[in-house]
Amino acid sequence: MSASAIPMVPTPLTSEQAEAMAQRQIKKHHVAIVLLHWFNAISWLLELATGAGLIVSPYYRFAPLWYLQMMEGIFGSRANMLRFHIAVGLTWTAVFLVYAIFGFRNYLRIEVLQHEIGLDRDDMQWLKVRTLLLLSRTKDPLPPQGVYNAGQKLFALLVYTMVPLIMLTGLTMTFHWFGTTFVAWAMVLHFFAVGMVVSGLMIHVYMGAVFPEEKPAFYSMITGVVDELYAYRHHFKWWRAVKIEEQTWRDELRSKEEGGARSTDEKPDDNSGSDNAPLISRPQSGDRR
Amino acid sequence: MPRYAMVIDQERCVGCQSCTVACKSEWDVPNGFARTKVRQTGTIGTFPKLSTSFYVSQCNHCDRPTCVPACPTGATYQDQSGVVRVNRDLCIGCGSCVAACPYGARYINAEIGKVDKCDFCVSRLGKGLQPACVGTCPAHAKIFGDLEDSSSDVFRFVYRGAAKRMETANIAIGPNVYYAGKPKHAELALASFAPVPPRTIAPGKVWSSLLNKVVYLAVGVTFLGQAVAFFRQLSTGEKQFEE
Amino acid sequence: MSKITRRGFLQTSSALAGLVGTGVASAESRPPSWRGETRVEQIATNCEMCFWRCGVMAEVADGKVLKLAGNPQHPLTGGQLCARGNAGTQLLYDPDRLKYPLIRIGNRGEGKFRRASWDEALDFFATHLKDLKQKYGAESVGFFPHGVAAGFFGTLMKAYGTPNAAEPAFAQCRGPRDIGYQLTFGRAVNSPEPVDLEESKCIVLIGSHIGENVFTSQVTNFITGLQRGAKLIVVDPRFSTAASKADHWLPIKPGTDIALLMAWANILIVETLYDKQYIEQYATGMKELEAHVKDFTPEWAESMTEIPAAQIRDTAHMMAEAKPAVAIHPGRHVTWYGDDTQRARAMAILTALLGAYGRKGGMFLPTKVKQGRIPLPPMPESERGRADGAGTKYPLATEESQGLTQGLVQATMNASPYPIKGWVVYGQNILESIPQRQNTLEAIEQLEFMAVVDVLPGEQTNYADLVLPEATYLERYDPPAVVTTSKRPFVAIRQPAIDPLYESKPGWWIAKELANRMGLADYFPWKDPEDHLSRLVQPLGINLAELKSLGAVSFDGHPYIDDRKEEDGPIFPTQSGKIELVSSVLKDLNFDSLPKFTAVEQPPPGYMRLIYGRAPMHSFSRSENNSWLDDLMPDNQVWINAEFAAKAGIKNGQVVILENQDGAKSLPIAVRATVGIRNDCAYMVHGFGTRAKGLTKAYKRGASDTDLITRVSIDPIMGATGMRVNFVRVLPTTGERS
Repeated sequence: MSASAIPMVPTPLTSEQAEAMAQRQIKKHHVAIVLLHWFNAISWLLELATGAGLIVSPYYRFAPLWYLQMMEGIFGSRANMLRFHIAVGLTWTAVFLVYAIFGFRNYLRIEVLQHEIGLDRDDMQWLKVRTLLLLSRTKDPLPPQGVYNAGQKLFALLVYTMVPLIMLTGLTMTFHWFGTTFVAWAMVLHFFAVGMVVSGLMIHVYMGAVFPEEKPAFYSMITGVVDELYAYRHHFKWWRAVKIEEQTWRDELRSKEEGGARSTDEKPDDNSGSDNAPLISRPQSGDRR
Repeated sequence: MPRYAMVIDQERCVGCQSCTVACKSEWDVPNGFARTKVRQTGTIGTFPKLSTSFYVSQCNHCDRPTCVPACPTGATYQDQSGVVRVNRDLCIGCGSCVAACPYGARYINAEIGKVDKCDFCVSRLGKGLQPACVGTCPAHAKIFGDLEDSSSDVFRFVYRGAAKRMETANIAIGPNVYYAGKPKHAELALASFAPVPPRTIAPGKVWSSLLNKVVYLAVGVTFLGQAVAFFRQLSTGEKQFEE
Repeated sequence: MSKITRRGFLQTSSALAGLVGTGVASAESRPPSWRGETRVEQIATNCEMCFWRCGVMAEVADGKVLKLAGNPQHPLTGGQLCARGNAGTQLLYDPDRLKYPLIRIGNRGEGKFRRASWDEALDFFATHLKDLKQKYGAESVGFFPHGVAAGFFGTLMKAYGTPNAAEPAFAQCRGPRDIGYQLTFGRAVNSPEPVDLEESKCIVLIGSHIGENVFTSQVTNFITGLQRGAKLIVVDPRFSTAASKADHWLPIKPGTDIALLMAWANILIVETLYDKQYIEQYATGMKELEAHVKDFTPEWAESMTEIPAAQIRDTAHMMAEAKPAVAIHPGRHVTWYGDDTQRARAMAILTALLGAYGRKGGMFLPTKVKQGRIPLPPMPESERGRADGAGTKYPLATEESQGLTQGLVQATMNASPYPIKGWVVYGQNILESIPQRQNTLEAIEQLEFMAVVDVLPGEQTNYADLVLPEATYLERYDPPAVVTTSKRPFVAIRQPAIDPLYESKPGWWIAKELANRMGLADYFPWKDPEDHLSRLVQPLGINLAELKSLGAVSFDGHPYIDDRKEEDGPIFPTQSGKIELVSSVLKDLNFDSLPKFTAVEQPPPGYMRLIYGRAPMHSFSRSENNSWLDDLMPDNQVWINAEFAAKAGIKNGQVVILENQDGAKSLPIAVRATVGIRNDCAYMVHGFGTRAKGLTKAYKRGASDTDLITRVSIDPIMGATGMRVNFVRVLPTTGERS
């Protein structure tokens, strides 16, 4: 497909086009990210299970008594449960720090963050339409989305703010940083931050694992790839960017083969339908969660 | 099962602080804090008919301790012999229990980042020894024993004598450190060092009154939302070939 | 990369490692003395945080003393141990301790020293003393020791040839009562005081503040006596802890105790309430006494003491009812007004009238213990005799007594009767213990050599030419404690719990090494302290190993007259063999043979009399640098009557400066405005306000009463310095107490 043939907005596909697209794969998540995601998921399960089992005060507890007793039985003592909770928590924190240090350029630079999880006009519109769709009160189409849709972006924003808070408060409690008052507030904020992420997780897990339309997304978190049709349908702006990059790459290759004199075809313009989405020259890679 | 208690005989006590230092030495209590405190009450009366006394205080290992439920992790607990203890492996040093004690018996040991207080020297009891403060007192003013043992001195003081509890109308949680001696001296002690209402630390208040609700609401709403979506999904079915 | 993340990373990984390391740590808090695998050794010794020498068990592991506790098998103190005793580890591990021998550089008083080796230091001492002997004679060296540990040094200085040894214990503390009781009953009171508090039916304290003045077994016996129903009469211008337990608190006008005592004697005699049979059997001089007290009526006494006559009568009746089980405590620090020996005589006379001396519940009798003696070559005789006036100017300050410190200071100042050019100070805080420090400082200027042996760098070390670091009581052997004034006499050991820290050395080693260098090795004919110890205790039939493991070995005592045996000697070893109500010795020396009342000078308007005392968590001026005791009481306060304070516009807690009649000023001190003190007195605890910079925790904390004791009233009988003759007024400072 030539550059000029890359649509700027999603258009209906012919069945051949659709079938062809369904066969092709686009890489969405790097292996490193896939590993991190599942490591994170397991850590969260362990931490939630033990964390819930640790809060026993009648003023603050939320798990039922039988659960508390069961967990205490499994670990032998609540002190052991706390040690486990801290061990997993510190490992989890350490792994994320390693990723943060070594992957800063790829994942945490402002430009990257703005592009991947910043909300643009399409996102705001999407949120409105999606909610109305859920309530069966509209038949409008959803506006095109980037590599992550607005819902996923919201979840990412939640996680990016809450997780550092969880880590910091966890460390504060583990090492008694800055004294009792800080530890006491850390305790409360730790619970709150976790609670907020858990409520986001409700949607995230449902959408990822149960909701049929997002099945390809789920599998991409195992295989690292999605089929092109899914990308076209659900993450058009990303699909377009990948296509453009592909085209550019092909053009460069051809011009090298032909001796480099020929100029490339008309450059694709920047109007990918969004005001504030810069052209990225590197392949985007997946999740940060 | 024994039910441990202590009796402080105010007529015997001379306020010499031997107990404070013996305890400090036994338990590495840092300067500025104490597991057991000796304080002089005010001096009342008109010269020369004056009255004063000493109030020796520590954890009272109460019947209905307000500190135990306040501890988020359950690090503070009451064992079967009534001793309120702190499991250092579970304590994070948040200070909830310190505020919850009406007698100010607890403190945060900054060196280890955890709460500390009198535990009736349980590890010494296990070796057949008296609590450190009891053995060292020159005036034998501290009497320790088992309230279940009718031949013990504490039994005699509590059930046959007139040993008093440091309780007020508002705060009566059954402290098991009793005070024997002249009633006016117990009154002086109560007047000078009455127990105060247990407090909840600010983060704790925020937690139980506000954040708990917010989190339950958020989790509840999102859960319900997904439940609704799931049921819709069940009813509409999944298409084999998607459009 | 941001520093925080890297540090966080490192912290995290080290935390993980730490987590693995702690493994399954103990869930319960455990004190260091109960470490799982470490073998904890229990060493029996005795305490030196004061001089009561309570039995102590030191728990030792890995060369560290983990904790001190009482020795349950100690015959005097059982398992009890006071606050200072429990805090002994903080002396042992005090970073301010003297660690190495020091030789002065710079001017005397600047406190500038260089470190020296022991060899150099010991040679330095020996050389200087040899020089002084050659130039001025051995008597030119004054020796200021303190405590039983000074025994080895005492031998050294005697062997060297100086008779001029003076301890504050006599002229600044117990002297008057020891002489007063000796004149009456034939023996000094000694220490621990043989007062039968636990069996008493009526306890009388004249100025004594048991409970703030804490000697473990004395508190135990005092409280036991009270719990058994003893009545308590407390005579004190201040509402002390003891007064708070009293049936009668008599807030006596200071300086009038003799009036009260004589009035009590009057009542007992006039109403025939005294123990007639006892007096007839054991005492002489009753007729003279009867005539003497005729005019000391309660009404007269009321006008002197400001105590109601009715109360004087009531308390006399209370004592009479309880006789002979009446314990009139002789007191301990009794150097108050200059008539203190006479006051002690009055107390002794009263004790005799009640039939209490040698009786249950009164004062019991000491039982001799057959100590071993290590034969030494004869001590050199001094031709010139003592320079301090003991035995001469003050004939009753005998050789057996511990000398007159202020006499030695005066002799040094004035080079009279002969020059004193060297001072050896062993464990004595001369600038705090001896009043009129301006004299002590002037005297020091006359010295050519001053050596200080001590554990902590007290103020006197600043003025030394040579400082020798002694090991603490937990690191050394000392002469055994032989206690006869206990119902069961005993011998107690002091043995080291650990080896001396730093380069500190035990006193016995220092003395012996010096002896070797000074040609006096023959006076130390034992090879090590265990040898010394075993030779002393062997005649008692004590096995050294047994003594080392038990800490003390006791023997049967004969505390009451009815128990006495032939070998105990006469009950009343006076000249007449009886209780001398009228003192023949005093008569011969032209002193009042019966106590007379003399009025003391009153404070001028606006001034209060300065009185002082003890606190239960400190030992005079030696414990203020102890980290734990400092935590309990970091400084002292001045007690001022609340009304007086209010009238003078002084608030409770306000920081003030005290100025005395001679213009001497104290360091800033906080006020305790209280209803519990007379309005003509100001009270503070002794021992604070040190100028020793080396005592980093105690330096200038609180105020020193010694600063304000610029004048004394000398007891003409035995030379004690009465110190409660200074008057202070309050100068407000700006600012509240920090």
